[in-house]
Amino acid sequence: MAMSESARMATAEEARFRINAPNSKPRIIRIVALDQPAEETVRRLSMSDWKSASFYSAARYNSEAKDIDKNGWFCAISGEAQDAEAEIASADLVVMIGSVGQQEDAARKLSEICRARNVMTTALVVGDQSKTDAALSKTLAQLRPYALMLVIASAEDYVEDMLSALRA
Amino acid sequence: MLRKEQNDYLTQTGPGTPMGNMFRAYWMPALLAKELPENECPPVRVKILSERLLAFRDTDGRYGLIDEFCAHRGVSLWFGRNEHSGLRCPYHGWKYDVTGQCIDVPSEPAESGFCNKVKLKSYPLIEKGGVLWTYMGPADKQPPEPEWEFASVPADQTYTSKRWQESNWLQAMEGGIDSSHVSFLHSGALESDPLFKGAKGNEYNLNDLKPHFEVVENDGGLLIGARRNAEDGKYYWRITQWVMPAFTMIPPRGDHPVHGHFWVPIDDENCWAWSFDYKPNRKLSTTERAALERGEGIHSPVDENFYPVSNKGNDYLMDRGAQKRGETYSGVHGFAAQDYSLQESMGPIVDRTKENLVSTDNGVIMARHRLMRSCKAFNDKGTLPPGVDPEHQKVRSASVVLPPDQMFKEAAKDALKTKPGVAHASV
Repeated sequence: MAMSESARMATAEEARFRINAPNSKPRIIRIVALDQPAEETVRRLSMSDWKSASFYSAARYNSEAKDIDKNGWFCAISGEAQDAEAEIASADLVVMIGSVGQQEDAARKLSEICRARNVMTTALVVGDQSKTDAALSKTLAQLRPYALMLVIASAEDYVEDMLSALRA
Repeated sequence: MLRKEQNDYLTQTGPGTPMGNMFRAYWMPALLAKELPENECPPVRVKILSERLLAFRDTDGRYGLIDEFCAHRGVSLWFGRNEHSGLRCPYHGWKYDVTGQCIDVPSEPAESGFCNKVKLKSYPLIEKGGVLWTYMGPADKQPPEPEWEFASVPADQTYTSKRWQESNWLQAMEGGIDSSHVSFLHSGALESDPLFKGAKGNEYNLNDLKPHFEVVENDGGLLIGARRNAEDGKYYWRITQWVMPAFTMIPPRGDHPVHGHFWVPIDDENCWAWSFDYKPNRKLSTTERAALERGEGIHSPVDENFYPVSNKGNDYLMDRGAQKRGETYSGVHGFAAQDYSLQESMGPIVDRTKENLVSTDNGVIMARHRLMRSCKAFNDKGTLPPGVDPEHQKVRSASVVLPPDQMFKEAAKDALKTKPGVAHASV
């Protein structure tokens, strides 16, 4: 009896004939530190070789400051001030990285910019064993409204694996 | 996306492979107890982690899981005679006990002690919760017996089935922790399957097709929370458990039995999909049990070899009319078939170098991350992987409504642990 098409096409032999051509364009990913401890994480990440990821800090964002958009709150991880709107407009994904127990005011601002430009957001909190669950809960509550995906990683090494998985 | 060497690392579970070594640190389901229904019943072939084995139950009710092949000339002991406290090969009469010890070689003088020098590889096989469990690691590192709740409640409160899936274990398991596909692939089942329908939580599912996700590590693996809008600014959380390496538990709906899976590698291109349903606080009703036995819910109608009735050989009984009418999303009927049809279509071992993952795949990304890290630590340093400790197995999934500022892992802490006789937290 002839094999059904599903049976034939699910074999290892047929899997060899998957088209061997790129099936996507590189995704532009912006990784943004929300606070000073996260800046260190982002700085270390930026040292690795990435195809299409770039690294920033929003740690100096202060929602109370005058002329907020002019005070250089958004900068490349190397320190040069950047235009947040322009950098995000050209991105496919913004990954915000926060730390337990920090104020994450910048998340709201970044989320507003992303929403206006239909850019996906993910927030990642790198855990800290020395901080309480209450502190973590507070940080998550700050970030939750501003990211479709929220990840709590126990260690920094997850961030690198995540970026690799996303083809950054 | 994974590099080829990472994909190989996670998907290969044969003897001597790193992931195979790690799987061998755990007790795993091997057979349903009903496959060896009585003493001296016929032996059953078992293939797990690419090892050909044979299970039998001897005259005294002891279970054995031994090398399938006679040490003499390599005959399959499936043909063996199960009698007088051992399994006798019909070719030349060599006989083995449940530990694989050869206890008779008729052609040799008994006084020679020759049979003492012959011993087949064997693994312990124990019964718990209607399942026969085996541990295939070093004898001196055997862990405590499993403590999964579905296997610990009385028999009339639980139901377990198994199904042969023609794909690698990992792509099957990843379906169990990928909450984002439910609103698409299983959208029809929520309203029609007797083991899902009618729950208040289903309304939240159907009214909010863009759930937000949170992934957090847990002692045994991960918790994956999918949140949707509920009333009064609150969130409806569905919290999935993943315990390493391959246990997943789906959040409950209403008062329906709660369910989950084990994914046990047969070899690198096939796995057993073990499915369970149970209630910790009451018997399964006659209606529920009948539905489970019919293969509803996460179970599947299977033949005598546990091969699904709806399979690739019949194009999964594809029904394009039902797909067009919106009764099913993919045209395939049945919750389980909807999953395995797509997972098998990926190929026996999906090529993850071609993936384009998105943020909502972070559950899958983190599971792979934990598997790789734990596997490396286990193989390099002997660090016990999460999930071996029975305390990591005393977990539940949950569905709860919480205020918006609460971390689900903390707020639902009690709901995520087993509590004998107490119902699951469910909406």
